[in-house]
Amino acid sequence: MMDSYFDILSALILLSSFLLMSHKRIKSYIKTFRIQSSLIALTAGIMGMDSLIREGSFDILIVCVIIVLLKVIYIPRLLHRTYGTVEYKVEKDFYLNIPLLILICCGLVVFAYFSVSNIGSLDGAHLNLQVVNSLSVILIGFFFMISRKKAIGQMIGFLVIENGIFVTAFFSTHGMPFVVDIGIFIDMITAILIMGVMVTRINEKFESINLDKLKNLKG
Amino acid sequence: MSVFTPDLISGLISNFIQFILLLLLAPLSGGIIKKVKALSQKRKGAPVLQMYFDLWKLIRKESVVSDTASWIFKVTPYIVFSASATAALLVPVTTLLPSAVSGDILLLIYLLALGRFFMCLSALDTGSTFGGMGASRESMISALIEPSMLVSVFTVGLISGSTAIDEMMAAMRTIGNPLLHPVYILCFFAMIIIILAETSRIPVDDPSTHLELTMVHEAMLLEYSGRQLALMEYGAAIKQLIFLTLLVNLFLPTDQLIALAGISGASAAVDAVGVAGITAGAGAAGAVTGTAASAVSAAAVIVALVLYILKIILASLVIAVTEISTVKFRFFSIPNLAALSFILAFLGFLQYFVLGR
Repeated sequence: MMDSYFDILSALILLSSFLLMSHKRIKSYIKTFRIQSSLIALTAGIMGMDSLIREGSFDILIVCVIIVLLKVIYIPRLLHRTYGTVEYKVEKDFYLNIPLLILICCGLVVFAYFSVSNIGSLDGAHLNLQVVNSLSVILIGFFFMISRKKAIGQMIGFLVIENGIFVTAFFSTHGMPFVVDIGIFIDMITAILIMGVMVTRINEKFESINLDKLKNLKG
Repeated sequence: MSVFTPDLISGLISNFIQFILLLLLAPLSGGIIKKVKALSQKRKGAPVLQMYFDLWKLIRKESVVSDTASWIFKVTPYIVFSASATAALLVPVTTLLPSAVSGDILLLIYLLALGRFFMCLSALDTGSTFGGMGASRESMISALIEPSMLVSVFTVGLISGSTAIDEMMAAMRTIGNPLLHPVYILCFFAMIIIILAETSRIPVDDPSTHLELTMVHEAMLLEYSGRQLALMEYGAAIKQLIFLTLLVNLFLPTDQLIALAGISGASAAVDAVGVAGITAGAGAAGAVTGTAASAVSAAAVIVALVLYILKIILASLVIAVTEISTVKFRFFSIPNLAALSFILAFLGFLQYFVLGR
């Protein structure tokens, strides 16, 4: 029963990263990232309740609370604030058109499926499915990062990769040690803070957050 | 005479009843959607039954045909209506009733495509600019949405082991709640996007507009009047109800719940033998037992039909809420939507292989 909930949640998390890929505007990126993080928080919540009932440990529930505070509330707000300080300019944010991007992501999912099915030590159809879906989230996050021109899009890509890694670890181990989780979160929040400052600086210097402009010489 | 066994006759009668029910209900879902939209805009709105009145009015009116129109223009309304009606004959409303016509879902899709093809032809026929524009847009949308429709239908067909509609519905009934299954929920979302595109709903086409920049389906009906317009609109309404029926009967099956609730007669019908139960019972027994069996299952059938109508109302509400909460897409953004829908269906297909069931 638990497994079928996790199956469907992993499918929905994968779906949300496809949704992210199909968006054109930075505001919708942030909104979709928030949806994805809420789904991950839900997954952690279900698993946390399970471990509380079975073993009486609060670890995963605490992780769930941290996810809600950090990824659902704080980071989207931070991204909105960063986005508000930079200059607003509507321009094309990606190199290829969206249907093509989505089809390439679909290829990435097939690739993830074939590589996971060769691992061998993963037994059980449910675990296999969950790992395939969450590994695809990582790959799509990478691809999102290289397909977007603007800095905020690339920050979102980084966050999606992080989400994917978290979910992969989560589904394959059913709860990592608490210290490891906390370490990852602290890492991530540092990275996001630094990136936020960087984006503001880039915008001040080059009057745009389009990273293609970094190639231009500045005197 | 030997061809008409009692099984076949009872099957044909139940097919006919379901067909009539679909035809009668068809204008209702559009009325519900319009009413909800009007209420959301703080208007009172037209009554829910408005489309029945409109059709009745249009049927009695004279139709005007352009001098330049050829026979295609005159014959199209009949083709569109009869294609939709034939497709409606293939869709079972409830799996509890026996069925003599076992329709293939590919036949259904391409019957509707036949109607659409003639609609495009007739729009081009009179040579008006709007008609040509509407026809070209409609063909583009249908070409974009067709792959995702086929993939999602094939995924459901692959699992149920058949492409016959009633067998697919009977197989989905055994799954329990399909929306708690990764394969079906992805196909379900794909199907919702397909329905929005196929029945010209808001993110793709606005059914209530006559603004030349945005209309697609309406642009093709612009030249029609009177009885011909009534047939075209009725055909479109039937098509919409067919898609809604497929959605609710495939992904929200309720027939097994009737058996669980223990309404007498239904449990016999919904066991492993499935639909054959009623037919065999009614066919093999004599007059007395035959009427007894059908009287017992009548309660279950009525409950199933009421549930079906409730599900259709629910699906119409979902579509109305989608229409309220989204805006119409720019025409060249529709490929993005179609790609998303295709990917949903394809991911569902892939999940089936990964899960290995």
